[in-house]
Amino acid sequence: MSNAYIDEFPAEARIVRAAFYSSFLALALGGVFGIIQTLHRTDFLRFMDSVDYYTVLTAHGVFLVISFTIFFLVGIFTWAITTSLDRGLEDIRFSWGWYSLMAVGITLTGVAILAGFTDATDISASVLFTFYAPLQAHPMFYLGLVLFVVGTWLAGADWFRSWLAWKAENPDERIPLPTFMVLTTMLMWYIATLGVAVAILAFLLPWSLGWIDTVNPLLTRTLFWFFGHPVVYFWLMPAYMMWYVMLPKISGGKLFSDPLARVVFVLFLVLSVPTGIHHQYLDPGIAEGFKFIAMTNTMFLLLPSLLTAFTVVASMEHGARQRGGEGYLGWLKALPWRDPVFTGMALAGLMFAAAGFSGMINAGMNINYLVHNTFWVVGHFHLTVGTAVALTFMAVTYWFLPQVTGRALWNRSVALGQVVLWFIGMTFMSNAMHRGGLLGIPRRTAEPQYEGFEFEAAVGSVAELDAQIALGGVLLTLSLVLFFANVIGTALNGKSDSLPANGYAETLSGPEDAPLVLDNLKLWTAIAVVLVIFAYTFPLLSIIERGGLFGPEVIPFPLTLESVTTVGIALETAATETVDGATLALVGVIR
Amino acid sequence: MNIHTYEKLWLVAAMLLIVTFIATITYGSVGLGIAMVGDQQPTVEPTELSDDERFGDPRVEQVGENEYEAYVVAQTFRYQPDPIEVPEDSQVTFYVTARDVIHSFSIVGTNVNTMAIPGEIAEMTVEFDEVGEYGVVCNEYCGPGHHDMEGELHVVPAEEFDLVDHSVDTPTEVEPDDEAEFTVEVRNRQLDDLETTVVLEVGDETFEEELVVAGGETAETTIVVDTADLGEGDHDWTITVDEFEEAGTLSVVDPDAEDDDGGDDDE
Amino acid sequence: MRISKAALLVVIAFTVPILVELRTVLAWVNVELTVLESVTLGVAMILAILVWALWPENGESGHSSTR
Repeated sequence: MSNAYIDEFPAEARIVRAAFYSSFLALALGGVFGIIQTLHRTDFLRFMDSVDYYTVLTAHGVFLVISFTIFFLVGIFTWAITTSLDRGLEDIRFSWGWYSLMAVGITLTGVAILAGFTDATDISASVLFTFYAPLQAHPMFYLGLVLFVVGTWLAGADWFRSWLAWKAENPDERIPLPTFMVLTTMLMWYIATLGVAVAILAFLLPWSLGWIDTVNPLLTRTLFWFFGHPVVYFWLMPAYMMWYVMLPKISGGKLFSDPLARVVFVLFLVLSVPTGIHHQYLDPGIAEGFKFIAMTNTMFLLLPSLLTAFTVVASMEHGARQRGGEGYLGWLKALPWRDPVFTGMALAGLMFAAAGFSGMINAGMNINYLVHNTFWVVGHFHLTVGTAVALTFMAVTYWFLPQVTGRALWNRSVALGQVVLWFIGMTFMSNAMHRGGLLGIPRRTAEPQYEGFEFEAAVGSVAELDAQIALGGVLLTLSLVLFFANVIGTALNGKSDSLPANGYAETLSGPEDAPLVLDNLKLWTAIAVVLVIFAYTFPLLSIIERGGLFGPEVIPFPLTLESVTTVGIALETAATETVDGATLALVGVIR
Repeated sequence: MNIHTYEKLWLVAAMLLIVTFIATITYGSVGLGIAMVGDQQPTVEPTELSDDERFGDPRVEQVGENEYEAYVVAQTFRYQPDPIEVPEDSQVTFYVTARDVIHSFSIVGTNVNTMAIPGEIAEMTVEFDEVGEYGVVCNEYCGPGHHDMEGELHVVPAEEFDLVDHSVDTPTEVEPDDEAEFTVEVRNRQLDDLETTVVLEVGDETFEEELVVAGGETAETTIVVDTADLGEGDHDWTITVDEFEEAGTLSVVDPDAEDDDGGDDDE
Repeated sequence: MRISKAALLVVIAFTVPILVELRTVLAWVNVELTVLESVTLGVAMILAILVWALWPENGESGHSSTR
């Protein structure tokens, strides 16, 4: 009998396992769509019509950044709560309830997206992950998202319930660090999702159902980014949690500082939401001053990440020295590079540092003109969510999967190869994406090859960049194949009695060093809310005052299968309008 | 709280870095004058753009000695005007809006880049110092034809640049003894007045008409030709205004000879 | 072996970003490497790393530092 998680919490392990498998299914689908679009865009293999590219892109985005990440994180959050409070969930039926709601929600959304490939229904949702109105998806797409998000809300409630029950029994104890991280993350998530909830429930869903005729495109867009930026921290904070509570342990040492870890999570709670407008630096209708405020908040968000970099590296060094490492840099050799869990997380952290640099460029308000919506941005977030988060999640899977299945990992060498391959593939891909962006190559387009002009590469050629991206995409796909081989192999393994015990890193400087105020969740939530009110009240009021709550009259743009004809009609209407009246015979020569 | 010395140093360095970044951006705004697209412009009704003074006829207009304004409409899946022509050494203020969904107006290889949102107008002032041709792309997904949405911006030598549009309205068929009216409309989008001569050659005859178009205005002139002088049959005509030239054919047809309601080119 | 096999793998993996970024950086100082030159340089770097790692260190054989 081992002391693995499944032995301690068999019922909870089933929930975590279900969440993981849901997440892996999304990863598999997202990965397939990823390679299809990589080869299509770079013009190496185009077997579908370019119109379908956007359906593929929507699926790639939604499956990976919504279902893969969030299903995985509800799994590790459940693990974190139960392990660190050392108590099971209060009511496992409630837990299955939120899991089911999430599963049903994402299935509805997924079906709405995938139906875009077939002519058999008029259901479609090729609106991409950002679903900016007046692009319009089938109501099922929005409804599914609502159910999914409500599922995460209930999951958060479940974890708060565990914490409150624990607190009643342990009134004088500090909140265990992993629980603290889960709770602050969820508080941030509750605030952040208000934006998307209002956007969907008040505007987009009724609009797609035909209950209201118009929406204000700038308003729904702003509400989306109210949620759209903090959601990246919702993906990132679980990865940070892993770097804080797992990486030191795997490195063979202890977490450098518990208090600073708490500070970092508090900063994320406070600063994540009032930054969303930095995605809208180039939006007309939002005053420069509001953009400046968002920029300042964003820059201060660097602080928790820089602190994390310090703590993580310091913890790794501590671990390495415990293992006999010596010298200024010589300790690096003593790290457990053979362990895919360690190597994957270390490489993910390293790539996140690179992502930090491109992120600073994005955040630079007026520098943003150069890179906004170019391929650069795609390069950036493939380093953040695509590596810092995804690679960390895949790496820790090699530790968690045995814990929640009770079966030993199928093959550690394959796992090591997988994480290294991801690192190499992403290096090729994101470097070329960043460089392509600087040439002005746009993101989110099926064919970045134009008739009237060509992109001019300062170094090498655009063809080389394309080749680099395709090579990266192929390596990443191979890496995914190895990952799934390990997941399936592990699931088919026999039960093992020699699994490592469940647990997480101890700390060098423990919670007793952390001021009590850090655990005052009400205070931090209040500050976060106040900051959000400061950052958003005036922009939102101004947008509503300018464009109206329901906006000007717009031509809805349903992206159903008849979309092509719709576009045709829209074009014709527009064309007739233009040549309206006296300009009928206008020759219009500009010399 | 117990913070390690190294960590304190790191914290200070991190704060310095952040403050430096904010200072750099502020310098870019205040020192270099890189203004953000903002809320300077009022909103417009996207479905009524054709009646809008500025966007009803997307164009480039001269507003100062070297200053121009460009009114650009982005729509699925093209830009108007296309190509946009501006002279070298000019300062151009772009006003960009969208007719249907959210687009962008991004001049490739430059930092001219803005979202085009239905109902909102983006304002951006750009200096063009050198002659060149640029691509314009939409970098916001706007529907199934997104990848086909492109335009061009030409920065042309000052001497090749002009802002005069001509349009010609002529009948294609008239009855004998009727008058044929050749209407020439000249639109002057420059600041200065334009003095020009409209020349019409039809059959063997030549007509000339002086025309003065005030800066920013449109003027038209109508030359009336008596078809009796031309006689029945097809007559080639040419209208020339400076470098503008348009040619066509006028048919003088007797309706009694042909079972046709002719005489009117409207269909 | 000077380092463990796994560490060697990671070090070799590191040549990829170094090479890819080096090419970009060199272009700033007007040294433009072709793809072939970059690949050759990469192979040379990897060979050098292998030689360094596998060269016997005073007869001492590898101490692979797995967990």
